Amino acid sequence: MTDVNRSIAFQAEKPASPPQADERLRDDTWWYGPVAMACFLVFWEVSVMFGSIPELFLPRPSVVVVTLYDLFATKGLVYDLGLTLYRIFGGFFLAAFVGIGLGLLMGMSKRIYAIADIFVAALYPVPKIALVPLLVIWLGTGNSFQIALSALGCIFPILVNTIIGVRQCDEGLILAARDLGANTVQIQRKVVLPAAIPAIFGGLRLALGISIILVVAAEMQTARYGLGAKLQAAGQVLETGQVFAILLLLAVLGILLTKGQDRLGGLVNRWRAN
Amino acid sequence: MQFEAISIEGLSHRFLSRTRPPTTALTDVTCRFPAGKVTSIVGPSGCGKSTLLLIMRGLVKASQGDVKFLYGNGAGALTPGDAPRMATVWQSFNLLPWRTVVDNVAFGMELQGVSKAERREKAMDAIKSVELSGFENHYPGQLSGGMKQRVGLARGMVMSPDILFLDEPFGALDAQTRLYLQEQLSSLVEKSAKTVILITHSIEEAIFLGDHVVVMTARPGKIAASLDVDLPRPRGIDVQNDKRFGELFSEIYGLLRDEVRKSMMN
Repeated sequence: MTDVNRSIAFQAEKPASPPQADERLRDDTWWYGPVAMACFLVFWEVSVMFGSIPELFLPRPSVVVVTLYDLFATKGLVYDLGLTLYRIFGGFFLAAFVGIGLGLLMGMSKRIYAIADIFVAALYPVPKIALVPLLVIWLGTGNSFQIALSALGCIFPILVNTIIGVRQCDEGLILAARDLGANTVQIQRKVVLPAAIPAIFGGLRLALGISIILVVAAEMQTARYGLGAKLQAAGQVLETGQVFAILLLLAVLGILLTKGQDRLGGLVNRWRAN
Repeated sequence: MQFEAISIEGLSHRFLSRTRPPTTALTDVTCRFPAGKVTSIVGPSGCGKSTLLLIMRGLVKASQGDVKFLYGNGAGALTPGDAPRMATVWQSFNLLPWRTVVDNVAFGMELQGVSKAERREKAMDAIKSVELSGFENHYPGQLSGGMKQRVGLARGMVMSPDILFLDEPFGALDAQTRLYLQEQLSSLVEKSAKTVILITHSIEEAIFLGDHVVVMTARPGKIAASLDVDLPRPRGIDVQNDKRFGELFSEIYGLLRDEVRKSMMN
């Protein structure tokens, strides 16, 4: 009896497990994706090996990786990769600069919106790949053509999202800023622009994907160098291994760029995280 | 020159719409709000009381009539002058969600170009006065409603306004938080002797905090009556048990009852 009492008293004295400063919620699903991908690759490797599928149709993943290494080591693929990245980001940043700038102006000024809106409405739905003949006449088939095409594709998602972001700004925040004495420029710099950042980031994310698509597609049609050009050349001589290797490179590129952008967006929007 | 009153004469306001005929929010409002007192404005929802606040604060231009700020020369004569310093506390808090508590409280000073060190020091004092020390670096999204509104209050008070506008400040809060904040605000207001304009839909709140209660009609809003709250200060929450409190409540509800019904009909 006394023992029980003592143990209760003892327990009461001990502070109930103190909250630890480093206790955090953890994301425990991060490895699901990589593991699923690994399972898929093993399945692919094994079924090609034992299913006697000719390599001309479907090379094994291990062969694809070796081919990719080979392309880098002996065929100078790094030059093509650099060139493609230059075109992708050249167009992307050009579009981001013009798109965000024009979007802010259109979102904040009714007059500018009224003038520019009809041009946007006319150009937006034109398939950008349909502009290739005209751009080739104007710019030739060099880098400036690739960058112009990519920029034309990128600018609309960025522009439209920026306008939406600016317009969605909570009217109450603007009232509160005016109440505290903000002038028009201060309201736009310190309230409207930060409020539009998440929408702008959404636009940038869409645009980068479009830039990759357009640059590779244009390279396949007209270029001599670049990942798209090499992909087309490999396909024409039935080098299926090389085709897969370049596709693999594009897929990895896509993952890296998307994840990198997510990281950046997370930093900018860290106030949203609880 | 001493700030004496806000004076409104023959003020009307219409909202224009692209798709509907104009809405008349306020019609022929004439009223005077004395300095150094708390004036509560009650009225049925949609009667234009928030619009009246925005017009007095200078954030909306009235369609007709205007707001004058009267200054006394000590001999009883009143002359209109420049707007004194004003700050507003909002029902929906309107804190900038991407700024921390301290940066929200310092926002007004930042706009005025006050140095970083000075505005931080003042903001910290204001945060302390609303009992939020330790939360300076939290984002609004991490705070409860009552805490958010205390940030809103600190953000307004740190500007040391001559007139404090409160637009249904506790309307979005739960009943217990509201009671607690009403008590805090009451003592704050009694200590600072500021001019306070309080918009509310709660009759209890209007009486508890107010020196005067202005009752508005259903839309288009105008002033139905103006009553003095002759209850002693300082007031604790138990002033609600006072017999006089009950009488005032009945009187104001009597005035509002038909207006509320009208506002539901149209």
